[in-house]
Amino acid sequence: MSALIDQLAPESGLPDDSHAEVRRRAQARLMSQGFPDPKTEAWKYTSLRVLEKREFQGIGQQAVPRCALPFAADVLAFDNGQYNPDASTLPDGVRLEPLDAQSLETLDYAGREDAFAWLNLARFEQAWKLSIDAPLARPLVLAFATSDDFSGAVHPRLHIELAANASATLVEWQHGQGEGLVNLVEQIHLNPNARLHHLVQRQHGELAWVQRTDVSIERDADYRFHALDGGGRLVRQDLRLDLLQAGAHGEIDGVALLDSRQHVDYHTAINHQVGHTTSRESFRMMADGTGVGVFNGRIYIARGADDSHSDLNTGNLLLSDSARINTKPELEIYAEDVTASHGATIGQLEDSALFYLRTRGIPTQEAMALLKFGFAAEPLENIENDTLRDWLMVLLNEHLGSF
Amino acid sequence: MNDMLKISQLKVAIDDKEILKGLDLEVGPGELHAIMGPNGSGKSTLGYALAGRDGYDITGGSIEFDGQDLADMEPEERAAAGLFLAFQYPVEIPGVNNAYFLRSALNAQRKARGVEEIDGMTFLKSVRESLKQLKMDEALLKRAVNEGFSGGEKKRNEIVQMAVLQPKLAVLDETDSGLDIDALKLVAEGINRLRDGKRSFVVITHYQRLLDYLNPDHVHVLSGGRIVESGGEELARRLEAEGYGFLEESAA
Ligand SMILES: Nc1ncnc2c1ncn2[C@@H]1O[C@H](COP(=O)(O)OP(=O)(O)OP(=O)(O)O)[C@@H](O)[C@H]1O
Ligand SMILES: [Mg+2]
Repeated sequence: MSALIDQLAPESGLPDDSHAEVRRRAQARLMSQGFPDPKTEAWKYTSLRVLEKREFQGIGQQAVPRCALPFAADVLAFDNGQYNPDASTLPDGVRLEPLDAQSLETLDYAGREDAFAWLNLARFEQAWKLSIDAPLARPLVLAFATSDDFSGAVHPRLHIELAANASATLVEWQHGQGEGLVNLVEQIHLNPNARLHHLVQRQHGELAWVQRTDVSIERDADYRFHALDGGGRLVRQDLRLDLLQAGAHGEIDGVALLDSRQHVDYHTAINHQVGHTTSRESFRMMADGTGVGVFNGRIYIARGADDSHSDLNTGNLLLSDSARINTKPELEIYAEDVTASHGATIGQLEDSALFYLRTRGIPTQEAMALLKFGFAAEPLENIENDTLRDWLMVLLNEHLGSF
Repeated sequence: MNDMLKISQLKVAIDDKEILKGLDLEVGPGELHAIMGPNGSGKSTLGYALAGRDGYDITGGSIEFDGQDLADMEPEERAAAGLFLAFQYPVEIPGVNNAYFLRSALNAQRKARGVEEIDGMTFLKSVRESLKQLKMDEALLKRAVNEGFSGGEKKRNEIVQMAVLQPKLAVLDETDSGLDIDALKLVAEGINRLRDGKRSFVVITHYQRLLDYLNPDHVHVLSGGRIVESGGEELARRLEAEGYGFLEESAA
């Protein structure tokens, strides 16, 4: 554990810039609380041993992969965690500026389970404020890529704000190579009536990727998240939605596909802080080989948040005897007149479905591939934009070809 | 001429429990046979055994389909050879698009027979035609296979599949159960449209109503794992009027 402090948060290396005060405070918290250990509930199934064994060095010299997408978009490139203006275009209605010191002063995180958020606050190289002021005509892509020789530990920080009535489609294209660590913190705020469709397409090889995405949603604003997650050596995604005012709506849909040497941990939380707020969540995990998946989905309906509605369902598919998936839906309800439901299943491919397909002439292998696709595609089906849905479906299909 | 289907002294066991106990049935080309019989007598078991379901162990006898011994054929090989089973309880396949499924099935069968794949337009035209004839909403094509379909829609969807796949022998397991009166007629028409003097049918049903539209060549009663009575359409009418009671008397 102290090995991680030595490697990732040495007392000495804090940058002395306009954020120095905030950094010192975060460092102190991190030192006193430490990193998660096997007794930390929120990290029970995700060990940091992979990180302990790594030696973090330079961020690499080689070129990072560039995204090639089948749709017109504006791209903001983050190469090895650093914003690269030369590979980026900012459309009208979008501003990207260094974050002012004030925005960070009052930030607070919890204990040991939030160690990586504290680490980011102490160590971020750059902190950006991305402002979306108007409805955007085409998707805005955040391209996060690392190079083949990347072995650093980087801590990008991005605060995204949608103005009232603004709307955007934000696509995170994450393709990590190398053996370092990216510890990304995103803070997203939707002002009244704003709409954000947030898609994450993730494919990291040996990279370790820790991401925390906190989303706050005001009156009548609408946030939708879709993930197609191809995993990585160690991926941890914390996604937290706070429904702050009446009419706020949040949705999380995702599928994670895991094979050997891959570990993906999603911790999602949807917090209905006030009444008349709605949410839903659907998540699928599929694990083959020695892949390990963790899903923890929490729905919290605060005292007085009456007339709130939520539905969470998760499905898990194990394709080998040594694959593992730990799944836990949690409902915490302190209000009245609410509807909240959850369901979770862990299973193997259905014999009856396989037989049905085969009686129609579809050979066994192809039938199994169809069933896997059907299982994994479900959370992506409600993507309203045909182009984006087709894009992810094609990627899903390609990905399953390797299973 | 050879039989389309020749079942001799067939014995089938599930988990070591014998369900079919020496069943004989011969279906010639172009013939339509109806099989009736009490609940639990083994009708669906026969359908599954024909289709090749795992766990339905053939412990005796033989099944010959269009001159081939079915025993060692996989379900997909039987389908490619022209055998079709409409399920009593069609299976829901979440996330698999109905149109995509049907096209994959058709192309897999064509590939197995060495015929080139069907092009998208021709395929869509043929499915749309079948949907229209069965008064099914085209939107069902975009939905997941059978998922959220009503009972009757599932049954009609089986007939759509049959119409698209054009099998040599179709075994229809209670496709009429759960259909409203109009749908029953549509399904019967769907079956009759495919009758061309060569294609054969085994229609499992509990009710004479469907048979009134189909005019079966033969009617059989399956009871206790055997065919215990065979006859013409008049047998179905007698069963409708009297129930299965008289069979026990004649057996006794
Ligand atoms: N998996 C199984 N394990 C044990 N017994 C089974 C199994 N499947 C079917 N059976 C038994 O086999 C017998 C025949 O069942 P089958 O489904 O073939 O009847 P059926 O004639 O189609 O009846 P119905 O008219 O109700 O559809 C029944 O007694 C049933 O309980
Ligand atoms: Mg039956």
